[in-house]
Amino acid sequence: MTSLLLILPLAGFILANLPAGRAFRRMCIVLPLVLSAVQVLLTLFPKASWWTAGNAAGLSLGFLRIDGISMLMLLAIGLVVFASSLISTATVRDERKNRSFVNLVLLSLLGMNGVVMVTDIFTLYVFLEIVSVCSFVLIALQREQAMFEGAFKYVVLSAVATMLMLTSIGILFLCAGGTSFTDLSSMIARNHADYTVVFAILMFIVGLFIKGGIIPFHGWLPDAYSSAAAPVSILLAGIVTKVSGVYTLIRLVVEVFGATPKTSQVLLFMGALSIVAGALAALGQKDFKRMLAYSSISQVGYIILSLGAGGALGIAGAVFHLFNHTIFKTQLFINAAAVEAQTGSRDLDAMGGLASRMPVTGATSVVALLSAAGIPPLAGFWSKLVIVVALWKAGHPVYLAVAVLASLLTLAYFLVLQRKVFFGTVAPGCDSVKEAGWRITGPSVAFSLIIIAVGVAVPFLLDTILLPIGRML
Amino acid sequence: MMEKMMLLAVGIPFIFGVGALMLPKYAREAATMLATVLNLVLCVRMYDQEAMLSLPWGGYGMLFELRQYHFSSFILAAAAGFGFLISLYSLYFMRNRDKGNQFYAYLLLSLGMVNGAVLANNLVLMLFFWEGLLGTIFGFIAIGHREAFRSAVKAFILIGVSDVLMMAGIGMTGLLAGTLTMSAIHLPLTSAASCAAFLLLAVGATSKAGSLPFHSWIPDAATDAPLPFMALMPAALEKLLGIYFLARITLDLYALQKGSAMSVILMTLGVVTILVAVMMALVQKDFKRLLSYHAISQVGYMILGIGTAVPVGIVGGIFHMINHAMYKSCLFLTGGSVESQTGSTDLAKLGGIGRRMPITFICFIVAAAAISGVPPFNGFFSKELVYDGALECHWLFYAGALLGSFLTAASFLKLGHAAFLGRNDALSTRVKEAPLGMLVPMVVIAGGCVLFGVANQLPIDNLIVPIIGAQRAAGHHFSGAPENIFLVIMTVTVLLAAYVNHMYGVGRTGNGVGAVDHIHYAPVFHPIYECAEKRLFDPYDIGMTLVQGIARLAWRIDRANDWLYNVAAVKTALYLSCSVRRLHNGSYAVYIVWTVVGAVFLCIYMNA
Repeated sequence: MTSLLLILPLAGFILANLPAGRAFRRMCIVLPLVLSAVQVLLTLFPKASWWTAGNAAGLSLGFLRIDGISMLMLLAIGLVVFASSLISTATVRDERKNRSFVNLVLLSLLGMNGVVMVTDIFTLYVFLEIVSVCSFVLIALQREQAMFEGAFKYVVLSAVATMLMLTSIGILFLCAGGTSFTDLSSMIARNHADYTVVFAILMFIVGLFIKGGIIPFHGWLPDAYSSAAAPVSILLAGIVTKVSGVYTLIRLVVEVFGATPKTSQVLLFMGALSIVAGALAALGQKDFKRMLAYSSISQVGYIILSLGAGGALGIAGAVFHLFNHTIFKTQLFINAAAVEAQTGSRDLDAMGGLASRMPVTGATSVVALLSAAGIPPLAGFWSKLVIVVALWKAGHPVYLAVAVLASLLTLAYFLVLQRKVFFGTVAPGCDSVKEAGWRITGPSVAFSLIIIAVGVAVPFLLDTILLPIGRML
Repeated sequence: MMEKMMLLAVGIPFIFGVGALMLPKYAREAATMLATVLNLVLCVRMYDQEAMLSLPWGGYGMLFELRQYHFSSFILAAAAGFGFLISLYSLYFMRNRDKGNQFYAYLLLSLGMVNGAVLANNLVLMLFFWEGLLGTIFGFIAIGHREAFRSAVKAFILIGVSDVLMMAGIGMTGLLAGTLTMSAIHLPLTSAASCAAFLLLAVGATSKAGSLPFHSWIPDAATDAPLPFMALMPAALEKLLGIYFLARITLDLYALQKGSAMSVILMTLGVVTILVAVMMALVQKDFKRLLSYHAISQVGYMILGIGTAVPVGIVGGIFHMINHAMYKSCLFLTGGSVESQTGSTDLAKLGGIGRRMPITFICFIVAAAAISGVPPFNGFFSKELVYDGALECHWLFYAGALLGSFLTAASFLKLGHAAFLGRNDALSTRVKEAPLGMLVPMVVIAGGCVLFGVANQLPIDNLIVPIIGAQRAAGHHFSGAPENIFLVIMTVTVLLAAYVNHMYGVGRTGNGVGAVDHIHYAPVFHPIYECAEKRLFDPYDIGMTLVQGIARLAWRIDRANDWLYNVAAVKTALYLSCSVRRLHNGSYAVYIVWTVVGAVFLCIYMNA
């Protein structure tokens, strides 16, 4: 019944746009909440018979497929969409915009679910475009100058990516005579030295680099993340770019393109470049969300680096860090939303001592940043450890050193963040600040608990979920 | 029964020592006396009985093993006797001083540690008690007066270093022997490893006894620590313990052969210790400091005797150990009564009190004669035995020891003259004899000096010869008058020379303090003494200078490190961060150019 994951958001979208009374429309706010919650619940039981029910009856779509990594991504999608929707009810007051948000989030949910389940490169492209177009509009939702600018940059660079990917799909289709993953991978295995094929592969990878915000293809990312409204930046940074850029890259490189030595070298180099440059850029930022945006670039670098290391361990590390990054970055953007909602500012220099005024936000952000910096026993430490071990086993001591030393930079900019915003004396103008409402702090606490739980349960998770994923792909 | 008594010998001083720390005045004195009497009774009851006790303790062969046999019971009884007499003396000496509770606690704890170390039959257990003494010595010195803390730290570091060396020796010995049980170890001194282990152990043992080069805390402690401490620890218990262990090393743990390299090293150490320390003693102007240098110097005779590895030398060394413990603590006690009656130990301020303190003076004369080797006191006989052994090895060692004897006699003539004779009207009118409780220990010990001299077959045949074993002692005759008349003639000649020298010195300067000034200010010696007075030869100060150099270097390295992390790294990161930020100028055209350039480069690489 996996197709329900696509059909239900679509049905919800239609339901939300029925010409019905205002009361009904207001009820529609709960649609993304309900759908994402259901999705989270379902993915928590991956062995349930629900997933395979109806397959025999021919009710499932042929191009959809569920495996471990898809299941993990579906869980992450559900979590982030739920958090984003809940926060939108608290921060997006305007009713019309709220309706737009609900519509777009439902479509995004549909698109992302599709991206993680498809087995066909063209269908993949279609779902990617659904997600992208929704994102363009979502960024500009509040119709402010900065938002338009961010959205515009995203549109332009996404257009480049679209062009590259479409060209690539065209070439690959010509060479293989089909667009399913199996057709393509067998063709590429046969013609891995063919310049045209290599060119097509590279085009697609560059397109995904743009979508995922890898340096130097990241130009749109800081503007888009920091200018968007709070629930949008949560959605965007937490899951949209991760699914459309990073997950797709992992999936395609491992399953379709094949990890040739040259691809591995490209991935390793781009990953390391992103890690270092992203972290350095983050270190100098004065804007809360901008700093988080550059941090995203840096953390995605780790995922790419791990993918470049290859092997079951490298892929497991990439997937694990992808999941962890989704959790802690969402959490940090939630905290940024809380701070912005309560103080009306994102300027780090104008804040200070908020931990005494917003204890929950302050405490949860400590958990998230320690996880991001890779401090044991939090989740982020384990995924970085897996990455480091994978690099060691693959024999890349230089990249290993980069990964470890860049952790220090990560810790440095997050400590700057934490110190400027939450620690120290209360800044003038922040005296009357109160803790954000439960609709913001609730998800924040939940995500912190996930970080701690994953960190503590890692020996169990590693053997039962992550390493099987690495081997399966 | 014996096993329980052994445990009691360790336990009683511990329990009473902790009690003395908490009890009020008078009660703690009573507890101390009770404990030392009990200890004495116990040790005398245990005398010359054999017993073994083994309890599980640390694992890896570290057992709680005690062994009582002839040698250890002899040392135990001697230590208990000194402990009793000196605590009796302390009752009067410490009466009007504060920190009495700590003093008695350290005294009893030290006794317990010494008992434990002597009884221990496991190297690690022995090290445990041995190191315990380090703590009590530190405490003893630190309670002296306000500036005593520096001396205490010095003692702590010097003893600590020598103990660490010994610890290494114990580890190596355990490794070589495959066991830590002392009675089961008997290694030959053939391999380099065993020689190294032997030397390390010997350094620990001789340092405990106070020999060079870890000696320099003793003169400082003499001026700073309470006097009974000097009479108890450096003069008596430490000598007993250190020489006991040295004898155990050379006789039991390792088989030291006559004429071997190790033997020569030990004898050289002995002679050097004798000469260096006695040269320093000669020029001291303070009663206690002078005695403390002799406490170092006399160890040299013991090490020389034991280092000869010939029966007569070993017997002489051990006999000298017990003799030294007697006359040196007696000397310290006379020094203490002079200090408590006159308020000073500065030789320049003393004088003329011989008539006012006749018993103290007589005790001093007996003990000084004994230490100088005047017949028929005990020191004469033990020195003759040591000379005999040294001469059997090489005449150089004998000559060195004999020179030491000359200087010893000269320095004690000077000390006695300066402190007790001469004219000092200020003192000779008001000074009274010391109280009875201080006199009794002095007289008892001085009597012992006479007894062990006149009837020297008593201690030698009963106490010492069984230690080296009948097999080794067979065919020798140690007690009674010395057999070698040459040695006696030489000794008497040397003593007479010392007297002539003294009269010459007194004639030159006109008082007792300046009796050796002609040696002190002799052309070659004077600059050396100058340097010594400036502590240029003190191994502690040399070590501290070195350590300070290393510390300064380490500090600089640390600063450099700090700069690297706190300044260089941060500045680099901020500079790079600034550069990266400047590249992001917000223009989407620039971003597209980056994208295209990046794609082109990747393309080139992939197709290269």
